[in-house]
Amino acid sequence: MLDDKNQSSKYDFPDSRMNESQYRKCGFAALLILVLLAIGVPVHAAERTTGLWWMPDVASKGGDQIDQLTYFIYYLTGGVFVLTQIVYVYFLIKYRAKKGVRATYSHGNNQLEIVWTAIPTAIFIGLWGYSNHMWLDILHKEPPPDTMQVGVTAYQFGFSFQYPGASGNLGRSDVKLLSASNLFGNDPNDPITKEDFQSSVLELPVNKPVRIRLNSRDVIHGFYIPQFRIYQDAVPGRTIDWVWFIPTKVGSFELACSQLCGSGHYNMKAPIEVVSQADFDKWYKGKLAAAASASSTSAAAPAK
Amino acid sequence: MAEIIAHTIPGELHDSHAHPHELSFFRKYIWSEDHKTIALQYLFTSMAFLMIGGLLAMGVRFQLAFPNAPIPLIGTLLPSWLVTSAGAVQPGGYNGLVTMHATVMVFLVIMPFLIGVFGNFLIPLQIGAPDMAFPFFNALSYWLFLCSGLILLSSFFVPAGFPASGWTSYAPLSSHGLFNGTQAGQSFWCVGLFVNGLASIAGAANYITTVINMRAPGMSMFRLPLPVWALFVTAILLLLAVPVLSAAAAMLFFDLNFGTSFFSASNYGQPLLWQHLFWFFGHPEVYIMILPSMGLVSEIIAVNSRKPIFGYKAMVYAIVAIAVLGFIVWGHHMFVSGMNIVLSATFSFSTVLIAVPSAIKTFNWMGTVWRGSIRYTTAMCFALGFVSMFVIGGLSGIYMASTPVDLFIHHTYFIVAHIHYVLFGGSLFGVFGAIYFWFPKMFGRMMNETWGKIHFILAFVFFNCTFFPMHNLGLNGMMRRIADPPLYDHLRSSQPINIFVSVSAFCLGLSTIPFLINFFYSIFKGPKAPRNPWESNTLEWTLPSPPVHGNFATTPTVYHGPYEYSVPGMDTDYLPQSEPAPEAAKLAAH
Repeated sequence: MLDDKNQSSKYDFPDSRMNESQYRKCGFAALLILVLLAIGVPVHAAERTTGLWWMPDVASKGGDQIDQLTYFIYYLTGGVFVLTQIVYVYFLIKYRAKKGVRATYSHGNNQLEIVWTAIPTAIFIGLWGYSNHMWLDILHKEPPPDTMQVGVTAYQFGFSFQYPGASGNLGRSDVKLLSASNLFGNDPNDPITKEDFQSSVLELPVNKPVRIRLNSRDVIHGFYIPQFRIYQDAVPGRTIDWVWFIPTKVGSFELACSQLCGSGHYNMKAPIEVVSQADFDKWYKGKLAAAASASSTSAAAPAK
Repeated sequence: MAEIIAHTIPGELHDSHAHPHELSFFRKYIWSEDHKTIALQYLFTSMAFLMIGGLLAMGVRFQLAFPNAPIPLIGTLLPSWLVTSAGAVQPGGYNGLVTMHATVMVFLVIMPFLIGVFGNFLIPLQIGAPDMAFPFFNALSYWLFLCSGLILLSSFFVPAGFPASGWTSYAPLSSHGLFNGTQAGQSFWCVGLFVNGLASIAGAANYITTVINMRAPGMSMFRLPLPVWALFVTAILLLLAVPVLSAAAAMLFFDLNFGTSFFSASNYGQPLLWQHLFWFFGHPEVYIMILPSMGLVSEIIAVNSRKPIFGYKAMVYAIVAIAVLGFIVWGHHMFVSGMNIVLSATFSFSTVLIAVPSAIKTFNWMGTVWRGSIRYTTAMCFALGFVSMFVIGGLSGIYMASTPVDLFIHHTYFIVAHIHYVLFGGSLFGVFGAIYFWFPKMFGRMMNETWGKIHFILAFVFFNCTFFPMHNLGLNGMMRRIADPPLYDHLRSSQPINIFVSVSAFCLGLSTIPFLINFFYSIFKGPKAPRNPWESNTLEWTLPSPPVHGNFATTPTVYHGPYEYSVPGMDTDYLPQSEPAPEAAKLAAH
């Protein structure tokens, strides 16, 4: 599980809506690839073989909604662009300077100004309403009660994850306690802290809501999973606990840092494994048992 | 008066009888207080910085297309903080290239081009003034600007080299040497921007005073040409926004070097404070960099369409609306920063509102060419290109304004595409157009139109080949500021797009060569320019090319607005602002 960074190509999930747009882009893509071949550029072996010009297949529940909105804006802006440019280019050709033809003397038209102020205003406010409703729905709504909580700490240059023990809850934490020896800022006096265990992989059961408790140990990092359509900065000095999502596809993904964080930023990432509930339970039990035996051997040295 | 009197070219004899007294070489070309000479100083300096900023971009694009391949020819000559011993760009050095490319282009190229060059050159000439209100401050502003550029670029030579925390310099990465590894470079960055801010503030105070106090008789505010309106409003933005950056840069400098903790997470500091301060400056800054270009383009489009600008007052109100709204949208850079998510909704709302005046301007430009008589000069080509590119840049902004979509594309190449459509396809195309348009007035000679068109076509094609596919890279999920994209599973297959973008970028870089040759050749060998080659209405075209020190022999009187083109009842299709309308002319009220 840990070493299959290069296996995401195995999971090729068909999505008919996505493919339509891929075909739309095909002509342009083909032309570009022809140009690339013509200039002799080596084309690397591809992981994604289709839809290279478009979004990666969505793999989370909120992501579906975001894609709908992206498509809505795509058609809206695309339509506006095509319409205005057709009109514009038509004007540019039709009204080129010709001998003996004078330009029309006009300072404008106030009614037109009102129309093309009011229509964009209405469209933009409508779009804002749609966007904002979704924004609150995705981020601001309380997650369902069966949500699993995972602690995430970002540091120069990597991520660590913390899973709750049998109680199902992470121990209390405080950003002031965050240090190299206490990566998650856990409160040592909270009894359930001791049950928590750490992982270098973000292992998630499919179709189960997960809420992250996001911290940073040094500078601002980004928590970015393109397939989940999710991005949140991890800010030192504060805990961000409102981000939650539901992975909907089994597969391997990568968590990427998307906020410039120093010389190692270019390679700051962590593997994500979305697995079936049964596989997750197996993994979870194994990790829990390993953590318990490790803590019993080191129980003589209490955390400071 | 002789057609060609003053020269700004060192080494040429100066026709002295136009002046009451002869200025020394030093006072005429080095510490000049003549706004036109200062404009040209800004012009040559910004062009040099444009080349440097462009070369930095070439370095960035080379690394992205061919990660870890040695840079040809110069690779092994570069310092060790930038490249490996084999001459390939290092990840830390890559961050430095990205940071300095953006810093140079924003603070040393686009701003001085628009505000330093055209603000200085056009404001006194178009309002009928002999010079700026404070000529000494004007000269000081240029020299401070040059100093700031030299300070920023000299970070190349300090230990660990260029600052490497991005042009946005988010704290606490930027505020701790331990985190960024480039303490010296980052300190230079703070000092450079502080000095640059002083230059901007001196310039802005000057422009505002000049426009308010020194307009010629009859030049009411609603008779101002649109470049002056845009530059006037921009100067107000500068005066309000730049001090915030200067203060923030000073605080960052203290954090870096004196152990204060304004922006650190410990000791009650607040990392998000930097982002609020930076973007409180940074978003008005975006409009500082586009409004003057909009003004210049409006002038070029009206003159070359031989038609009054469509909806002059709507254009003015749109500029003012953008300026006001520009101060309450900064939070849209911070939707995912950890800021309160309900606050994001508020900033999202003001952001969609600011799209409205931009839309109004676009429709008015289209209204101006409608039923015009379009002359396809090079300046006009760039201005028309500006409109299309600005439409793309504006529409792609809607994706970011929508908070949920921003969750996916924030900090990806989508935003890199967006900002370049606005700043290169927008601002810089406007600058190119304006250089072709006002070159005859600046140097008294014409640029070559054929080579101008070649420059335009190459720039237009390769600009789009370079920046349009970046939208697709962004949709692929390609993060900004990563030195080696194929390290990521989801980006490995996008590498051919990166190579295509880079090859286009190299061609785009090369496309400036015809421009540079045309520019410098024409300064010396271009055909002599008449007073008014484009048959334009504004006051500068009533003067000799180039105008003499002090500009107007007698103060002009202004009789009407600047866009009376193709007035019915007149023989000519233009009516200079300083000429009363003939009896037969049927001017329309507007």
